[in-house]
This record gives sequence, structure tokens and C-alpha cells, in this order.
Amino acid sequence: MAFKPQYGPGTSKVAENRRKQMNPAMKLETLRDVTDEDVVLILGHRAPGQAYPAAHPPLAEQGEPDCPIRKIVAPTEGAKAGDRVRYIQFADSMQNAPCHPYQRTYTEAYRFRGIDPGTLSGRQIVECRERDLENYAKELITTNLFDPARTGIRGATVHGHSLRLREDGMMFDMLQRCILDDDGVVKYVKNQIGEPLDKKVAVGKPMDQKWLDDNTTIFHVLGGNPFRNDTEYLEYVQRIHSLRTKYGYMPKE
Amino acid sequence: MAKIERAQKLFLKALKEKFPGQDVESTKAQYFNWGELSQSPRKKEFLAATEKIAKERGLSMYDPVRCHLGGIPLGQRQLMTYEVSGTGTFVEGDDLHFVNNAAMQQMWDDIRRTVIVNMDLAHQTLQKRLGKEVTPETINEYLHVLNHAMPGAAVVQEHMVETHPALTDDCYVKVFTGDSELADDIEPQFLINVEKLFPKKSAEELSKAVGKSLWQAVHIPTSVSRTCDGGTTSRWSAMQIGMSFIGAYRMCAGEAAVADLSYAAKHAGVIQMANHLPARRARGPNEPGGILFGNFADMIQGDRKYPNDPAKATLEVVGAGAMLFDQIWLGSYMSGGVGFTQYATAAYTDNVLDEYTYYGMDYIKDKYKVDWQNPNPNDKVKPTQEIVNDIATEVNLNGMEMYETYPTVMEDHFGGSQRASVLAAASGISAAVATGHSNAGLNGWYLSMLMHKEGWSRLGFFGYDLQDQCGSANTLSVRPDEGLIGEFRGPNYPNYAMNVGHQGEYAAIAGAAHYSRGDAWTLSPLIKITFADPALKFDFAEPRKEFARGAIREFMPAGERSLIIPAK
Repeated sequence: MAFKPQYGPGTSKVAENRRKQMNPAMKLETLRDVTDEDVVLILGHRAPGQAYPAAHPPLAEQGEPDCPIRKIVAPTEGAKAGDRVRYIQFADSMQNAPCHPYQRTYTEAYRFRGIDPGTLSGRQIVECRERDLENYAKELITTNLFDPARTGIRGATVHGHSLRLREDGMMFDMLQRCILDDDGVVKYVKNQIGEPLDKKVAVGKPMDQKWLDDNTTIFHVLGGNPFRNDTEYLEYVQRIHSLRTKYGYMPKE
Repeated sequence: MAKIERAQKLFLKALKEKFPGQDVESTKAQYFNWGELSQSPRKKEFLAATEKIAKERGLSMYDPVRCHLGGIPLGQRQLMTYEVSGTGTFVEGDDLHFVNNAAMQQMWDDIRRTVIVNMDLAHQTLQKRLGKEVTPETINEYLHVLNHAMPGAAVVQEHMVETHPALTDDCYVKVFTGDSELADDIEPQFLINVEKLFPKKSAEELSKAVGKSLWQAVHIPTSVSRTCDGGTTSRWSAMQIGMSFIGAYRMCAGEAAVADLSYAAKHAGVIQMANHLPARRARGPNEPGGILFGNFADMIQGDRKYPNDPAKATLEVVGAGAMLFDQIWLGSYMSGGVGFTQYATAAYTDNVLDEYTYYGMDYIKDKYKVDWQNPNPNDKVKPTQEIVNDIATEVNLNGMEMYETYPTVMEDHFGGSQRASVLAAASGISAAVATGHSNAGLNGWYLSMLMHKEGWSRLGFFGYDLQDQCGSANTLSVRPDEGLIGEFRGPNYPNYAMNVGHQGEYAAIAGAAHYSRGDAWTLSPLIKITFADPALKFDFAEPRKEFARGAIREFMPAGERSLIIPAK
């Protein structure tokens, strides 16, 4: 029988939002427009317009080894070109941000190819070939996985995911890479590693509280989504734990 | 599982002190206006000190304004103070790094410089092989000689170098036995008096376990174990013991029987505080990675001092263990650097874990009628999977809800691994206290971890999560290399050997299972008795209070050197 992903248990809104984000059959909602050039600026890996630093001489000229995996797996565009592996890293506020570290990793694993995600408590990094990264990054920034105020793009010094928000509703960032400008739009003034940008990069207006409460993927009593209320989810976790306890990684029932 | 009412929130006092004038339930705060480093007296002290040092040595040092993030120093947010849990003492985070805290150093010194050495083997050699008489009088005389020799004084030879008593005044040897007649004949200065130090029932059980045997609790000089290592302790001890036998019993220094005494003191009769470690971690005995969790739970004496509060006794193990295993062992021995302190202190500051644990106590009393304030084995709940799941789920959910309801608590524990350790510890301790079963407690720990991760879609860091996401599978296994009962696990147990925020708590879970039963000890009656000795520099009944004293610079450690250095 073919594996059919279930995208997680639960009867709550949070559980449903998680499934929607993960399921590649469901289109992510585009909420804002950020240009390709602006994505490149935020990432900070290359200057806009600069050629991708890639393998030289080109892979086609190098002659690749006779490898069965290469025959099975079609390369991504970045892999085909021999691009560098670069990254984007997000910090997600626990104050009802739309996406959260493990959720990001699961979502990316279902939706993207050729990625290497890393999951921590306050941040999540995804690494891949550079031109693939720019495509993925654009999707991660312009869709409902992102809120300009409560999602941070931070290569280092990510401190802030669990802190109270600033009085203007922005998540704390020691480096103040982005600001809530006078026009109500969040703008990056530094790239993800904290280097000042020559121009401000707009990433849209913060989503309102109702949208955040409706679209978040974290259980949180203050967001009206207590974990305690999703009994199906809790029982699923207990079941997994019990089966692992009794049978290790060959669970039986 | 069902939420119970608990009006008291033990962390509120700390929150109000940490965040003065702020609503601790607000989701908003001010940033970038705290005065950066100047908001912290300790950081200012660092700056003043480094200015002087840099001038004296002509080499730059602490320079955060230039070196931290290219000119953005710490303190863009509020730099919080911390209450050392259960003490009412507020300190700065810096004061809880072991380099800045003499009490923390001394706790580890006192463990590392300790071995317990059996006397029966030596007495048999003296009596049966050499035909010498061993009486209480000769034992007392031997102990006089030994307390002369152990710090580093000569007993047999002429023209010997010796150590300065004022530099080694923390070094001594006492004895204990379960034989009350013999105990009565030992000079009080040399005796660890079990009857006086322990509650009656515990004293009886300990005396019975020790029986007629006589044991020496040996503490070599702090400065020796610091200059050498934990493996030195038994060697230094055995050398002085051998020489003292020669002196006290008028033996020939070269006769073959000396080898028997030496073998007994170095190998056959010695109890190390920690096992040696395999080559890839390459440490001798008496280094932190080899301490069994059950033995650590016996070193900490909260259960002796607070026999009717197993929760407090357990929390003292958490504090002591977080400091030793996270800050010193993993943080410095294994990793290097200073970051582990920020992480580990969450488990013993601001009464957060205390609050979550006492919620668990209220829950098991309310639902399972466990009279936890009257420790006994009779009302323990059968450790079924269902019951462990129920307790761990409720305690974990309550903790998560507290973090959510009080954003300042979340901000206090700003790292996911901090929260994961605290939630899992409360869950595991509650399950262990309810069942009197350390592996059931561990099982509760791992359910908490899985539930935490699912609820918040985050847990700790890469490596932290590894052991917690696969841990359920080994909690009830006792196959070699795949499992052990909790008391026999230790920092070098497979999967436990890497990650901060676990080991102190695991030791506490092992202890909790026994404290809740009213057991006199967790794994070793000998270690329980040895660390009850009030003459030790560090008070093992109150580790958190001692750390607080260290933080506010009121703790006087051993290892004095001012006698032999220029006066400042």
C-alpha cells in the first residue's frame, strides 16, 4: 500500500493550519509582493545581478563520476549548475507567528527539493543550492508562512522568539534588522546577517491580530488555542509515546 | 488528566523583582532603552576591572562595546536578575557562572576530593597476617596519625617535605559504622554520627546497611585535586593511609603486608565517587562524567534535612546537578565556553521549576491520593503507562500554560532547551514521586518532551532534541548499552553524554523515586552518610542556598593560596 501522508493529527484550528501548510496539494496564499532583487538583498549571499558563484569549470566539463544516485535523482536547477549551498534562517515569535520551527521543516520537506533544514527552538535554517534557495526564500517570505512583524529573517543573533513583543508589535531583534516604518510597512535595513543595506527593503504590513490568531500554527492560550483542548492531538502524542516505550521503533498495537 | 486549581504561583515574587514596575502578564515590553551594559552592576564591575588589567599587562581584554556584534553590546533588552530558587536571594546571571562563584567550585571540589575506603580488609591483614591487635584505641590512634598525614605530613621518614596546614585545612578523614558499640568508642572528632545526623528511621536503615563494617570518608586537600585530577584522590589517600598504618601499627615499611594494605586502599576497598570514562572521553575516576545518578542523589542531602518535602529535596538535586553536569561537566570539560550557564540556571532560578513541580505534587495528591508530604512506600501508585501518561501530560500542559499566560516567565526562560528541561523535569519528578519508580519518572520526562514539541512546534536545539525524541524507547529497557534502571545511569550513558539540560534532572528523578518512599538512600548508603558530614566545606543539604551565598560572595571556600603569594 502506498504511503499516504496525513500531515498530523488534531481537530483544532491549529492542527488544520498545520496540515494546510504542509500539504503540497494546497497552494500557499500569497499575501505580499517582494521582488527577486529584494530577496537577494535580504539574503546577503550575493549582490543583485551578480553571477552565481558556482563550480568552475562547469560540471558538464568536469565529467561527473559514474554514480547510480545521480542517475536516479534529477538534480535541481541549483545542483545542475553546481551552485554554492547557502541558507535562509527564520526566527518565529511564539506570540502566534504563522509558522514555527518544526512546522517550517515539515512544510519545506513536503514542498521543496534538495534542502537541508535545521530545527531549533527559536530559529529554523534551511540550506540548499543558491538559485534554488532564492526561489524557496521568495515563497517563504511572500506567503502565509510569514508575518513581517513576528517572523524574522536572521542569520545570527536570533534572540527574540520567546520575548514579549515591542510596543509597536514587532518581535525584538537586538540588531534591529527591520523596522516598522512610518507608512506602516516593515522594512529591512540590514540583511539577515546584520550588514546594513543601501536601501530599505519592504516586506509588507504586519498582519492583524485576528489573522494571526486564525492562521497560527502554535498552540497558545493567549491566542485562544490551548493545546489542552485538542484531545485528539494529545491522545496521538500519548499513543506514539506508549508504543515507542513498549516496542521501540517497531511499534505494534 | 484534568487541570486543578493552584492559586499560589511561586515564580510571581521573582518576576516582580526581575521586571519592576511592569505588568508581568503583558505581552509587550520596552527595548533599546535600558542603558545597555550600564544597567548591570556586575558588567560595570567587569569594565572597571578590565581597564586596570589592560593597563597593567599592556594587552586588551574585556571590551564589549567594540567586540560584541561590531559595536552593539549586551543590554539592548533588560538584563534580568535571578532569584536562586528557594532562597529569596537575587543575583546576577554572571554570578552563577562557576568561575565567578566559589560555592559552585567548592561543591565539585568536595566531590572530586572524596573517596570512601573500607577498613575491614586492612584490619584483617593486620590481625590475621601480622597478628597485631586492632582495638578501638588503636583505631583512634591510627585516625590521629591519618589526620596528620592525609594533608601531606610525614609519619615515617626523616627529612621530609611537608605541606602547610593552613593551605590544607579542608583535608581530613572521618569514619562511620553501623556498629553502635564501636561508634561509641570512636573519638567524636573522628566519627560521622549517623544516629545524630539522620532522622531515626533513616539512621536505623543506614546503620543496618553498613553493618559492622568500618569505613573512612577521606577528603584530600582541595588544592591537590585541583592541581592534579579526580584520579589523584584515591592515590593520594591510599599513600597516606598506607603510611599511617605503618606508623600507627609499627609495621616494617618494606614488608609484603604493606602491599595488601595498599591494594585495599587503592583498589579492593575504595569507593570512588565516579567511575573512570572510556578513552574517547578519557577521564580518570572521580571526574563528573562518571558519577552515577543514584550516587549523585545520595550526595545531595535535601532528603535528610527535609524528609517530609521530597519535592524540595529533589529540586536541590536538580540545582546541584544542573551546576555540576551542565555547567562544569558538559559546559567546560566537554564543550568549553560559557554559554551553558545561561541555559542550566533556568532549572534552579526564579522558582519556575519549583512551581511546576509543586503543581505536580498537588495533582498526584488530588487525583491519586499520594500523601507526598508523608513519604512512604505504601501509597505509591502502580507505574502503569496510563498513569505515567496522565501525570506527565497534566504537569506538562500546566507548565506550558504558565509560560503562555505569563509572557515574562517565557522571557525569563528565553531558550527552548531551558523550557524543555524545566517542563520535562517537573513531569518526570511528579511521575517518580507518585510511583516511587525512577524509570517511570524517566518515561514521564520523555512524554513531556514529545508533547512540548508538538504543542509549540519547537523543542531545544539540534542535538538536544535527539535524545528526547528517541528517549521513550529506552526508558524501560535494561539491556546493556540500551538501558538501565535510572539509579545506575549516568552522564556517560548512551545518548545522555552530549546534551546539556538533562543530567541533573535525571539524577533528581532517580532521587525523587526514593525520597518519596522515605528510603534512607537512593543507591549507596556509604555515599549518603559521607556527604552528611557537617565538616565539609560545602553544605550538601542546601546546594541552592550555597550557590546563592557564592553569588553574593559570602561563601568561604577551601584552596586558600594567599599565604604563599604576595599580599595585594
